[in-house]
Amino acid sequence: MSLKPTIGIETHIELNTNTKMFCRCAVVDTDEPNISLCPTCIGLPGALPVPNKKAIEFITLLALSTGCEITSKGMFHRKNYFYPDLPKNYQISQFDLPVGLNGELEIVIDENKDYIQIERVHMEEDTGKSSHSGSGRIESATSTALDFNRSGVPLVEIVTKPVISSSKQAVAYIEELRQLSIDLNISEGRLEKGNLRFDANISVASEDSTELGTKVEIKNMNSLRSLERAIDYEIERQTKALEEGIEIVQETRHWDENKEITSTMRSKEGSADYRYFSDPDLPNMFLSEEFIKEVETLMPLLPKAQREELMTTGLSLSQSNILSKSDEWIKKLYVKVFDQTKDSVASYNWITGELQGQMRKANIEVLPEWFNDDYLPEIIELIKSDKISFTSAKIILTEILTTNTTPSKVAEQKNLFQENDSEKISEMINQIIQENQDIVDRIKSGEDKLVGFLVGQLMKQSNGSVNPGMAKELLLKELED
Amino acid sequence: MDASNLSIREINSLFTKKELKPSELYSKVFENSANSEAALHAHLTLFEEENIKKAAESDKRFSNGESAGLLDGIPIAIKDNINIKNYKTTCSSKMLSNYTSPYDATVIEKLKEQNTLFTGKTNLDEFAMGSSTENSAFGLTKNPWNTDYVPGGSSGGSAASVGARSSIAALGSDTGGSIRQPASFCGLVGFKPTYGTVSRFGLVAFASSLDQIGPITKTVDDSRIIFSSISGEDSRDATSVINNQLDIPSDNTATIGVIKELMEDGISDEAKNEVNKVVEILKSKGYKVKEISIPIIKLSISIYYLIAPAECSANLARFDGVRYGLRVDGNTSYEMMENTRAEGFGAEVKRRILLGTYALSAGYYDEYYGKALQARKEMIDEFAKTFKDIDYLISPTTPTQAFKSGEKTSNPLEMYMSDLCTIPANLAGLPAISIPTGLSKDQLPLGVQVMSKPLSDNSLLDFSEIIENEVQFDGQPKGWL
Amino acid sequence: MSNEFNIENIAKLASINLSEEEQDSLSNDLSIILEHVNALSDLKLNSQQQEIFIHPLEKELELQEDEVVESLTHDEAISNAPESKDGKFVVPPSME
Repeated sequence: MSLKPTIGIETHIELNTNTKMFCRCAVVDTDEPNISLCPTCIGLPGALPVPNKKAIEFITLLALSTGCEITSKGMFHRKNYFYPDLPKNYQISQFDLPVGLNGELEIVIDENKDYIQIERVHMEEDTGKSSHSGSGRIESATSTALDFNRSGVPLVEIVTKPVISSSKQAVAYIEELRQLSIDLNISEGRLEKGNLRFDANISVASEDSTELGTKVEIKNMNSLRSLERAIDYEIERQTKALEEGIEIVQETRHWDENKEITSTMRSKEGSADYRYFSDPDLPNMFLSEEFIKEVETLMPLLPKAQREELMTTGLSLSQSNILSKSDEWIKKLYVKVFDQTKDSVASYNWITGELQGQMRKANIEVLPEWFNDDYLPEIIELIKSDKISFTSAKIILTEILTTNTTPSKVAEQKNLFQENDSEKISEMINQIIQENQDIVDRIKSGEDKLVGFLVGQLMKQSNGSVNPGMAKELLLKELED
Repeated sequence: MDASNLSIREINSLFTKKELKPSELYSKVFENSANSEAALHAHLTLFEEENIKKAAESDKRFSNGESAGLLDGIPIAIKDNINIKNYKTTCSSKMLSNYTSPYDATVIEKLKEQNTLFTGKTNLDEFAMGSSTENSAFGLTKNPWNTDYVPGGSSGGSAASVGARSSIAALGSDTGGSIRQPASFCGLVGFKPTYGTVSRFGLVAFASSLDQIGPITKTVDDSRIIFSSISGEDSRDATSVINNQLDIPSDNTATIGVIKELMEDGISDEAKNEVNKVVEILKSKGYKVKEISIPIIKLSISIYYLIAPAECSANLARFDGVRYGLRVDGNTSYEMMENTRAEGFGAEVKRRILLGTYALSAGYYDEYYGKALQARKEMIDEFAKTFKDIDYLISPTTPTQAFKSGEKTSNPLEMYMSDLCTIPANLAGLPAISIPTGLSKDQLPLGVQVMSKPLSDNSLLDFSEIIENEVQFDGQPKGWL
Repeated sequence: MSNEFNIENIAKLASINLSEEEQDSLSNDLSIILEHVNALSDLKLNSQQQEIFIHPLEKELELQEDEVVESLTHDEAISNAPESKDGKFVVPPSME
């Protein structure tokens, strides 16, 4: 029996508006509890919701960027359930008339493109935060403490159709969605801060079945790594169960990061009845053609369009994908360096490889202000024209990251310009041969490996300034004689 | 001369002419409370200390000739489901018996700007659910005409206070008749404005699409003055509207309709007689009067008793012992919430919450709540059609005079049926007013209701004043002396 | 209309812990009310539309500018809390 998995993902994106969704309290990022509150976001008697225009602009922008149909006459619904972090014991959300319907998102895995269909995009409000005292595990908590600063923050919920078929695809999807929300400027996309949260619905069925298997919801995946592992684990669990003839129970399971398993959550009896009805405090929301056109003017170059453009410079799909998901300054730098060098490979490798690597090692988060757009092209040109070796180039880069100077100056000061004059090199070779006669003899008697040692000596003596290729060539020639 | 018997304009004239001081008026009004509260229990709390200060400030303004307006120094009673900052808002419920509000309702802010005095908070049916004030958790309020009888509800305390002159006027709230019916039972004017013209921000919500705050007064002009002060679009209430009044004729070029369905079974002869009396007066003044049939009115109770409970089941979900109000402990927060709500809510409130929860629940939505919404839309359309040829609709305010305490508490439906005449105006958002027109054979007041199209409040008040001048009802209750 | 309801289930959904007597009397009350409400089922309605929001004056939602308005201080917000600690509201343990 060959089984295939079907996965759908539900993502919540916290919008980085100034104020909350249904009140004008500031959206804050602080450990100080309960400092940004009003009657509305803590559900005091007599309080009423009023909608945030920027949040609606942001969700419309997101819906448009994924090709969704925009619902021009929408409404808000009350989703009714009791929980201490939900002040009104209902969440204002959208039920059957969400802002966006039927979109899709392009994802990239290595050199392959794929398209994930999006079912809907809707607006809702976030809850407060609970912290459980005691051992930290819910089961043995002695009390729960509540902070409502987050209560009412605008959340966009995006639900895919059940079209994802692997954990790899799921990860690629979240990465793309995250980048999209950053590029649209609607979220900071920091998973570790909970800017983006996701749950997965997973089912497994036989290859030739037309129906989907029983779907299980997985919650509590806090990183891409846990998303991938949880999905893989759950697929395996369900596959094993079905192979053994055990029925899958429709339920919600909790991903345990430590044990690396999914387990049944302590759930209420029966499935939830949210008793959705249209919120009488919020009249119909009409999104006019004019409004939509205005929002469209906010549309930046989307990640998939960025990739297309990058590929025209000669990069592969996978490389373009990596760049499209890099910080803005990296994308900009690549374009500037490529413009000057017209060498996509060198530009790409220097920026994503050596530059980012060195910055990470040295704990430099931002390029120093003196770091000119010309520096990398300069370095690349120096290498191309054989004036410096790759090793020297790395040294130069280290220096210009920490000191206000230019590549050429560093090369001069550190004597890094390569010696390319064959006469001068031959002179140095002769000296090396004289000083290492015993090695030379050994080479001549067959120990070819020691050639490298002599080249090394040459590099050492010349402070790395000899063109290593030329050096080896001339040395070998000399030894033959 | 007993100034507490005068209208707002008359009092203001005395203030301006310095023939009376606000502090003197307040003393009289407070004296009236001292003499009536024990018997009537209209107020739950009195703001004596603060008012002595405020009245003194008002004195100064009038003596300097710089008063704030007609409402300066006028003591008004406030129903205890309207929030006043730093005072308790109990909604006559155990759930909120210790709840102090940290904010003012919009209507309170507006009245404070006018330097109005607040006598205190008045008794109501718990969470505004009821028609007799017998559902209060803090004791009954009596009808000032005869203490064996109820004052009506849910704004019974407000009506009793104005009747006993322990306030010059009062604010109540009206969801299915809760201003008009107690006004009628107590021989007063009760005005429910067009839905949306008075902000609901700070009114503890019962049924969001039906609730409106309005005045209970001795004269139509007093209601007019208060309406003008408390109305206006509010950015904190998304359902509030710009008060762009439509002028319709109030003189005898207007056409009057008598609602056939509200002059049939279920309405007492005495109540019908009052309507007929008014019709004769109008005819004699040259008005055209017709009989109008609006059949869907007969379904008002059914529609209302699905929509109101459904909305209230969600509006009252916030009362859970987490952030404020009563808390009854439990081992888990679910248990705590369930126990708190069991003890905090009275029977009528529980009845409506459960009814509403059921009407919205899975599998029953279409049959109940969904159907009621459609029927409501039809009613709105029917009224709109009617108002094309009719300017004012007349009916009894209530089927009968006030009833005795305990008379209707056994059968919930019986109590609901007494809302038959008032409910349609809430369902259709119409402005509606009750004017006292006479006394029953038991010497209890009877009233007549007038309704007109949305946003014609000022014309409705003008027309009602004409009736008031003709009828000359000048009863003053003394039933507790 | 069915009018079959389970008072215990409804009370659970509404998060109210009803006593046995309350269950009986409320169950009874609901039956009476629902029977009356049945009159709606006979109603032939013209409107075919799916559910629409009913604002009697058909007002459109007005979106507000994303500008901060200060409201409650921390102390005001927590002033009515039945139990609080270190600035947070405290409740008995909540299950997920």
